[in-house]
Amino acid sequence: MEFSPDAVAIIGFVVLFLLMLLRVPVGMAMGLVGVSGFGCLVGGAPALKMLGQTSMRIVTDYTFGVIPMFLLMGAFVSRSGMSGELFRAANTFVGHRRGGLGIATIAACAGFAAISGSSVATAATFSTVAYPEMRRFAYPQSFATGVIAAGGTLGAMFPPSIVLAVYGLITQQDIGKLFMAGVLPGLLAVSMYMATIAVIGAARPGFLPTAPRASWAERLHGAREIWAPLALFVFVIGGLYGGLFTPTEAGGVGAGGAFLLSVARRRLSRADTLAALLQATRTAAAVFTVLIGAILFGYFLAVTQTPQRVTEFITGLGLGRYGVLAVLMLMYLALGCLMDAMAMIILTVPIIFPVVTALGFDPVWFGVIIVMTVELGLIHPPVGMNVFVIKTVVKDVSFATIFVGVLPFVATDIIRLVALILFPAIATWLPGRM
Amino acid sequence: MSDLEAEFARKAALDRVRRNWMDRFIDGIELLAAAFIAIVALDIFVSVLLRYFFNVSIPDSYDFGKLLLGILIFWGIAATSYRGTHITVDLVWAAAGPRSKRAIDVFATLVLLFVVSVQTAMLFDKVRLTRADNVLTFDLRLPTWPFALVAWLGDVSAVLLIAVRTWRLIFRPDSLQSDAIEAVE
Repeated sequence: MEFSPDAVAIIGFVVLFLLMLLRVPVGMAMGLVGVSGFGCLVGGAPALKMLGQTSMRIVTDYTFGVIPMFLLMGAFVSRSGMSGELFRAANTFVGHRRGGLGIATIAACAGFAAISGSSVATAATFSTVAYPEMRRFAYPQSFATGVIAAGGTLGAMFPPSIVLAVYGLITQQDIGKLFMAGVLPGLLAVSMYMATIAVIGAARPGFLPTAPRASWAERLHGAREIWAPLALFVFVIGGLYGGLFTPTEAGGVGAGGAFLLSVARRRLSRADTLAALLQATRTAAAVFTVLIGAILFGYFLAVTQTPQRVTEFITGLGLGRYGVLAVLMLMYLALGCLMDAMAMIILTVPIIFPVVTALGFDPVWFGVIIVMTVELGLIHPPVGMNVFVIKTVVKDVSFATIFVGVLPFVATDIIRLVALILFPAIATWLPGRM
Repeated sequence: MSDLEAEFARKAALDRVRRNWMDRFIDGIELLAAAFIAIVALDIFVSVLLRYFFNVSIPDSYDFGKLLLGILIFWGIAATSYRGTHITVDLVWAAAGPRSKRAIDVFATLVLLFVVSVQTAMLFDKVRLTRADNVLTFDLRLPTWPFALVAWLGDVSAVLLIAVRTWRLIFRPDSLQSDAIEAVE
């Protein structure tokens, strides 16, 4: 019995979602469906040959080395305690203001995000660094956890964002430009989060307490402590922006620099080094598994012509460019309840990217938009990965409490998304200067 | 001590030895993968420094970098598969009861074992072709097939470790180390 390509595509998607819901690793499910579907339409032998060749090609692609290198840099930074230094430094400057510890958390999250590139890592780290401090000064649980959940999303905006790097690898966009495109939207997010805290503090004066004012000596001491992460960021991202390094080299230099700085400052023991290497290896392997699966699934999509059909269908709806964009964003928000940001991007981008380019949107700008949307999915109810991570670390708080705290920041994120759609230059200006 | 108690003690001691031996083997594989990521980072770091400060380049730095990357990823997949730290959709699993959770885990691991086994068989073909085609590095003209072979051995160990995981999930679920969620994005 022969199936038409359309029938095979539909069966493939159904099987893929079933496998994923049964907790088969996303990459393996995509690979299995991709190879089986391709084999069904083209032949078993070419499909199996494709499996071996594609796997080896992906893992030996130097460009893809950007992922393990930046993951390693982030792991060294996490293990060396730079997150605590960033938080303490920010705290000395703004902690005495109403909601100041929240503002300090956002500033420290931004600093940490700029060297770790991971939302979940940022949320997990600051759940242990900032939450106890905020509770010590009697900040409400909902506010404290909400700020950390929102601050965590900055990890995907600032370079080196691992999600943006993966988007660049899938869509063959310049990763350096994508990193730069995230800078201004990231800074906008920081400003808007801080403004949100200020508004909450002004609207409900008794709600947010203050910490004692730090002396100028304490502030100078705090500022001196953060020279290391600052120098690392400027060196790595400056080198990338200035064309001194390729993204993979920037990651390697960043990892080497983070290791040397941490060892020189006696912040990294042998056990920490080993733990960082293991953490980066496991995470890189998990990401590469999904990437291999996505590329194999991409061949299946190509023979079934799914992206072309989806493009024809969506552009034929008569919704207009921004109507289609709104539908796509709603789809991502809904998917945010099912899977994490990386899986969402890898699974859907090969299908919807042709739609986006057919509608004339800038691929780099769209990368920022899509990452912002999936990051919103990390914190919005009813399911948000950052919220789960915080709940794992902070045992004495309910999901409902965290979601209440997150809501003002969700509103802020929606306003920021609208601003970025109305003014694309926020994302495209900086990469345009490279 | 009664005979029964002595038998239990002997079995427990034997279990400990077996578990320690297997866990040491798994730890060894992880350490090997971790060593490869350190070597890749060192290769890139040193080659960039030499290029900018001494105007010197390491021969085949680029080729070594990408070949070692392949080795690192396949050995890393072995460790990740055993620890169960792949990217998964946990919606159904999180809502399931203990028995259903275990059934889902066993099913998912069996699928994983099948996919990685087929991949390993196909990768061997790729290693064989690399050797037959005599693919060489750019500068030093070294054969690349030994690197491909080491990478393939990583995939072989992935099959072994997933088989161990499957066996432990079915027969000794308490012996599996639980790992914290790791950030991937």
